[in-house]
Amino acid sequence: MKDILILGIETSCDETAAAIVKNGRHILSNVINSQISIHQQFGGVVPEVASRKHIENIAGVVDMAFKEAGLEYSDIDAVAVANAPGLVGALLVGVSFAKGFAYAIDKPLIAVNHLQGHIYANFLEHENISFPAICLVVSGGHTSLLYMKSRGDLKLIGETRDDAAGEAFDKVARFLGLGYPGGPAIQKAAQNGLAGRYKLPRVFMDRNNYEFSFSGLKTAAMNLWRKSEKQGDANISDLAAEFQEALVEVLVDKTVRAGLEYKVNTLLMAGGVAANQKLRNMLKKRAEETGLQLYFPALQLCTDNAAMIAGDAHYYYINEQFAPLTLNAHPGLWSL
Amino acid sequence: MKLLILAIDSATPVAGVALLTEEKLLKEEFSNYKKTHSETLMVMIDRVMKECECNLDELTAIALSIGPGSFTGLRIGMATVKGLSQAKAIPLVAIPTLDAIAHNITGTKALVCPLLDARKQEVYTAFYAVGNTYPQRLGDIMACSPEDFVEAALEKAGEQGQDGFILLGDGYYRYREFFQEKLGDRIKEVPLHLALPRASAVGSLAIDKVRQEDYADPLELRPLYIRLSEAEYRLGKGEL
Ligand SMILES: [Zn+2]
Repeated sequence: MKDILILGIETSCDETAAAIVKNGRHILSNVINSQISIHQQFGGVVPEVASRKHIENIAGVVDMAFKEAGLEYSDIDAVAVANAPGLVGALLVGVSFAKGFAYAIDKPLIAVNHLQGHIYANFLEHENISFPAICLVVSGGHTSLLYMKSRGDLKLIGETRDDAAGEAFDKVARFLGLGYPGGPAIQKAAQNGLAGRYKLPRVFMDRNNYEFSFSGLKTAAMNLWRKSEKQGDANISDLAAEFQEALVEVLVDKTVRAGLEYKVNTLLMAGGVAANQKLRNMLKKRAEETGLQLYFPALQLCTDNAAMIAGDAHYYYINEQFAPLTLNAHPGLWSL
Repeated sequence: MKLLILAIDSATPVAGVALLTEEKLLKEEFSNYKKTHSETLMVMIDRVMKECECNLDELTAIALSIGPGSFTGLRIGMATVKGLSQAKAIPLVAIPTLDAIAHNITGTKALVCPLLDARKQEVYTAFYAVGNTYPQRLGDIMACSPEDFVEAALEKAGEQGQDGFILLGDGYYRYREFFQEKLGDRIKEVPLHLALPRASAVGSLAIDKVRQEDYADPLELRPLYIRLSEAEYRLGKGEL
């Protein structure tokens, strides 16, 4: 069978990314132009600034993806683009570019859900993932537990009622002056600290459901910090360690419990926060103890990238599920 | 060789696509209906190309209205055009949107003032003198309040010895009553079909640039925003 080469484009937040993936498995190129250093001065992603950077970077990033793969534009079989969810102005840059590019080379356009792309990052690296599975999608915009009957059949079983886990990391890091993005900043500070010296709550909500809430934990961490600063015994590393542990424990507990309750064999993890080392280690340990098979993507495939978009698109290509030229971007669509 | 230009405008609520040679406007689509550009623009391009039995490979250049205007609208047009031009190595010509609107007007001694609604109680504008030729821009494109516009327009008309003002563009209609009150019957209005940006005007303005191969670098090209983003503006003011 002929190889299928797909160009993926990803502009949903603050990374302008393009990648070429062969047969949904082999990454031929994976170019990411990160805007982190630009958004750092604002203490978080500014949508208008992100959109402006995308339009400046998109042509160069796509060109680089072809150069790294050693391919001509006309060599690819389809153009895939993340069109939801995300910052709508940012998504529109990728969607509009992808439409023009696909139209010009006369190849089909494929729309990919960004979150589904994150989940697919697992399949880029691991063969024979068995279903059903429970997948924890955890990022700056989402904290969701999904029941996956098969590769394309997903059901949401629980999500956060307030802040996403990554958002809580960002807000607490910003409050503590640790910088942006918050996940890596807190992980770094926590390395020199010890969880348990400070006491933060583990917010389980109802132990019998799969809902999350991180807003209260975030506030408790901030209050505790103010209090200990007044007392003169503040230790930022210990607080970072305790906050990280409190957040991760809840994620791990609910994910493993969902795995057992839904009687699956497999646990998956996806999204930027899945790069957190504490979360990876703790979930790995609990999965081993309970006999569940755990997969998570390599670090560079956890955060936003276009390889996950191009990879996921393979499935749509095979099924000839193509997008029309009227394709639009959607900020909050869970079209699963 | 005969020039063949595809022209695109999505800077304001209007979306426009035109195909033209140096001698002939072959087809133009103009839409000022509330559908979003992301859903309509590429379909309009496809229709124009197909109806004129034109292939992208035959294009000499793509001309784009680069702003000022709606930030998102500008990026939809520019991203689409960057995708088209990159895939087929088609040269790009950048045309400021206000230049294109002014190009709707010929043969007048009045000061031509295209105005675009910039929200936040402001307009994007620039001044143009027409005389016996095409409109020539006098000075920079700016974002200002309607009040400041009136003051600047009176001054510019004085300098240029021009009496009347041709006001057009959606920024004029947005503040029409105010402008009428301040400038009275010195305002000359234009008929409806000339009041808003036209892709055909973008294309027509591009002809000379194409002849001179005055092309934009697709890697460097970005919209003419005129304004900083809100966050950059506040950062500059030390509020962040
Ligand atoms: Zn993401």
